[in-house]
Amino acid sequence: MIKITELEKIYRTEEVETIALNKLSIEVKDGEFVAVMGPSGCGKSTLLNILGLLDDPDKGSFIFNQIEVADFNERRRADLRKHNIGFVFQSFNLIDELTVFENVELPLIYTGVKSADRKKRVEEVLDKVQIMHRRNHYPQQLSGGQQQRVAVARAVVNKPKLILADEPTGNLDSHNGNDVMQLLTELNEQGTTIVMVTHSEHDAGYSHRIIRMLDGQTVTENILV
Amino acid sequence: MFKNHFKIAWRNLLKDRMSSVINIGGLAVGMAVALLIGFWIYDEVNFNKSFKNYDRIAQLMQHQTANGNISTFNGMPLPLGKELQTNYGNNFKYVVMTSWAGDGIITAGEKNLSKRGIFMDEDGPRMFSLKMIEGSYDALKYPNTIIISSSMAKAFFGNDDPINKPMKIGHKLDVKVTGVYEDIPLNTEFAGLEYIAPWSLYLTSEKWIKQSEAAWDNNSFQIYVQIADHTAFDAVDRNIMHSKNIHDAPEDKKYNAQVFLNPMRDWHLRTHFENGIRTGGPIEYVRLFSIIGIFVLLLACINFMNLSTARSEKRAKEVGIRKSIGSLRGQLVMQFYVESLLIVMVAFALSLVLAQLILPWFNDVASKKMIIPWNNPFFWIAGLGFSFITGIIAGSYPALYLSSFQPIKVLKGTFKVGRLAAIPRKILVVMQFSISLALIIGTIVVYNQIQFSKNRPIGYNRNGLMMIRMKTPDFYGKFGLLENELKNSGAVEQMAESHSPLTNVYSSNNGFSWPGQNPSLDEDFETIWVTHDFGKTISWQLKEGRDFSKEFTSDSSAIIINESAVKYMGLKDPVGTIVKWGTDANAKNYKIIGVVKDLLMESPYDAVKQTIYFMDYDNVNWIILKLNPNKSAKQSISQVESVFKKYIPSVPFDYEFADREFASKFAAEERIGKLSTFFAGLAIFISCLGLFGLASFVAEQRTKEIGVRKVLGASLFNLWRLLSKDFLLLVMISLLIAVPLSYYFMNNWLLHYNYRTNISWWVFGISGVGVILITLLTVSFQALKAAVANPVKSLRSE
Repeated sequence: MIKITELEKIYRTEEVETIALNKLSIEVKDGEFVAVMGPSGCGKSTLLNILGLLDDPDKGSFIFNQIEVADFNERRRADLRKHNIGFVFQSFNLIDELTVFENVELPLIYTGVKSADRKKRVEEVLDKVQIMHRRNHYPQQLSGGQQQRVAVARAVVNKPKLILADEPTGNLDSHNGNDVMQLLTELNEQGTTIVMVTHSEHDAGYSHRIIRMLDGQTVTENILV
Repeated sequence: MFKNHFKIAWRNLLKDRMSSVINIGGLAVGMAVALLIGFWIYDEVNFNKSFKNYDRIAQLMQHQTANGNISTFNGMPLPLGKELQTNYGNNFKYVVMTSWAGDGIITAGEKNLSKRGIFMDEDGPRMFSLKMIEGSYDALKYPNTIIISSSMAKAFFGNDDPINKPMKIGHKLDVKVTGVYEDIPLNTEFAGLEYIAPWSLYLTSEKWIKQSEAAWDNNSFQIYVQIADHTAFDAVDRNIMHSKNIHDAPEDKKYNAQVFLNPMRDWHLRTHFENGIRTGGPIEYVRLFSIIGIFVLLLACINFMNLSTARSEKRAKEVGIRKSIGSLRGQLVMQFYVESLLIVMVAFALSLVLAQLILPWFNDVASKKMIIPWNNPFFWIAGLGFSFITGIIAGSYPALYLSSFQPIKVLKGTFKVGRLAAIPRKILVVMQFSISLALIIGTIVVYNQIQFSKNRPIGYNRNGLMMIRMKTPDFYGKFGLLENELKNSGAVEQMAESHSPLTNVYSSNNGFSWPGQNPSLDEDFETIWVTHDFGKTISWQLKEGRDFSKEFTSDSSAIIINESAVKYMGLKDPVGTIVKWGTDANAKNYKIIGVVKDLLMESPYDAVKQTIYFMDYDNVNWIILKLNPNKSAKQSISQVESVFKKYIPSVPFDYEFADREFASKFAAEERIGKLSTFFAGLAIFISCLGLFGLASFVAEQRTKEIGVRKVLGASLFNLWRLLSKDFLLLVMISLLIAVPLSYYFMNNWLLHYNYRTNISWWVFGISGVGVILITLLTVSFQALKAAVANPVKSLRSE
């Protein structure tokens, strides 16, 4: 599904030049659940942004679903993204002005799904993440765990092939954290590829493989399954 | 502490340059407008106040009732002056009879100049407290005297002493200069009055004046009075009310003439009477512009409040930190007030510059000579006071709102501005756009009305019609010579003489009777005396019958009437009808020989009145020339001039063009139109400035949301629509408010005009669409900027 080769990303400010990714090469197969670990500033988030087609690399190759996407323009990336990739953020990033239902519905609107279909699919996923009873609430009215379940629902409503999770349990207590990890595992078992950035060894334990990064490079890879 | 406040305020100004520019710029423009309107209002309400006896002077006016309608005018019969002095004398300090001010030819030595002047009773200069440079208030005691303005003295005599110099008025009245007065200030009734000659001279100057000495039905004169020190206007009104009516001839008593005083304080601003009741006048414009001035300033204040509160959310953290290290709420309030006052003071300074720059143009439009009173301490006190109040008003909402933030919430990052926090802002935006829209709609209606009246059919061909007033007897008996030579030169196609110019009617009369006349009609006609070729010269349009002709000697008792007169008289077959004028033995019979289409000669906003055209070579004051359309006007004018100079060398060549004179009838409306365009333009500019700032704030506030939406696949168009939609909705609401409001007010305004346009739906359509487009343009810039930003940045900042 994903094959990146010798990927480089450098951030420049007036005074400093930070190498975020240094000739990084990684491969993720269809249906895999990969955890990316490493200390702060090792380039995990940059990697995730590039995988998610939110950011573009300075150098190197990025093949997504057998297509070279490293040189895609904004429009093509957005198009590819909205049909194939779902995101789960540490801080949930739900839209405060929209209800649970509306938040989850949003990706379907952007991919042009008809209203009746949208309703059905949103209800399906809300049911799956067990938040159906809160469908008309606003994010502020929910607990952190509930908010993250909504965010996961939103990430999967479009049935993406890939879910990118950036510390999905970072703002949650262990109980709620486990719920979310359980949810991700289920999704993975149903065939969705997952790449998750995490600080937690516990969470990483849910994955098939752990990639450890330091200074923009892979250090080790542990295969768990 | 204050220094610290000031320092922070200054740094904030510099840090947030964009919103500082919007804030200060918008406020400065609003203040400049308020200043200009302030100057204008000051000038208007101080009109005539330079006369010392401002509070005691009045002009006599009368109401008369005809056909159930009361008309009000300031013409008075000559004998009333003496009557007031002898039988009502204890009411008055002075009673001053005057002629109408007008241009006269003044000669001194070799110099011949056309000057504006008046004949006045000897007490006039004293009553109007003229500032005499030479001579005394008694200068008009003897008939053959004249007092002149200092600029006229300069024009005739340069630096020589003018006293006792001989002059001639209208080439026939010999006078000598007995006084010189300072030029009368521009913002007074008598501005530009260059000479005053004695009433006693006027009485002997013309036969008809002498004959009017006992004529109570000839309202050809004016009377000004200063009431006695112990009395009041209303008391005098009660005493003199019937002073004219009791002397009126029995057949005129039905008009129920009521004399009253029009106090000087009402001369300029309260000039309109409707059916005998004072209904206002230019005072309405003073009120209107006061409201507009306040509104424009309010718009700028609204911007200021909106942007400050919007920005405040950015500064929430600062408030939290300050509170947590011990700042009291009062100190924070103080800090924000200092900031707002700083901005207002900078804006005030800028607005003075702006006002100074706009003032020449504004003076031109308003035809005034206003200046910024830099040396007047009251101006500074008022200006700074007004800035201070603006600062307090504009700063209060942010000051009170910002200082109420709870520090823990702000610092923990759980501070969220509620969904309701934006509502006051939205209301303010709606207000702004309602005002702007109403102004735009008003402006369009004013211009519609002008255009509508300009396009009105006038019944003759106005192109190339030159009008020359016969100011002195030198003109008489020369028409034949002039006509011959001018026609031969090819400069003039046709010419005639007339009692009135083409853009006015000088005379109206009653006492006409005709077969089938409605006995209850108090008949009254506009009367114009013309020579044979008048119709041909101006190309009037005959509907029935024939024009005056030299082939019929009987045409000296022929008349032509207009269509309105046919309707007014109730005639089925007008041509051939005999109209009798007069009741006594001297009554004369006239035969209607033709009917012409209505000629629009008076107000373009009123219906054309019933008019009778007589054929008469004696009772004429104007020469009307139709220039040859195949020649350049400039060339023709100089040819006409040289011919007039040849035959009438002693009179300066002065002329008017009918089309230009007519156009000047729109001056008042065009002035209103120009000013309202200016104000509407500024209002929309200020509103857009505010909108621009607000849109940038909203885009910033919603950065995270935009980022999330982008990640989820929102297109640029989706995002643009998302961000623009809310603002568009606000503008729509404004439209709903502005449309009925402006319809109501503009409809009322149009009711002032008898000939008026309708307010059609497209006026609202165009204004609405225009404002929506401007809104979208303003908002889109920010929306697109936010939409193309990379979402990674906004999401990472979480």
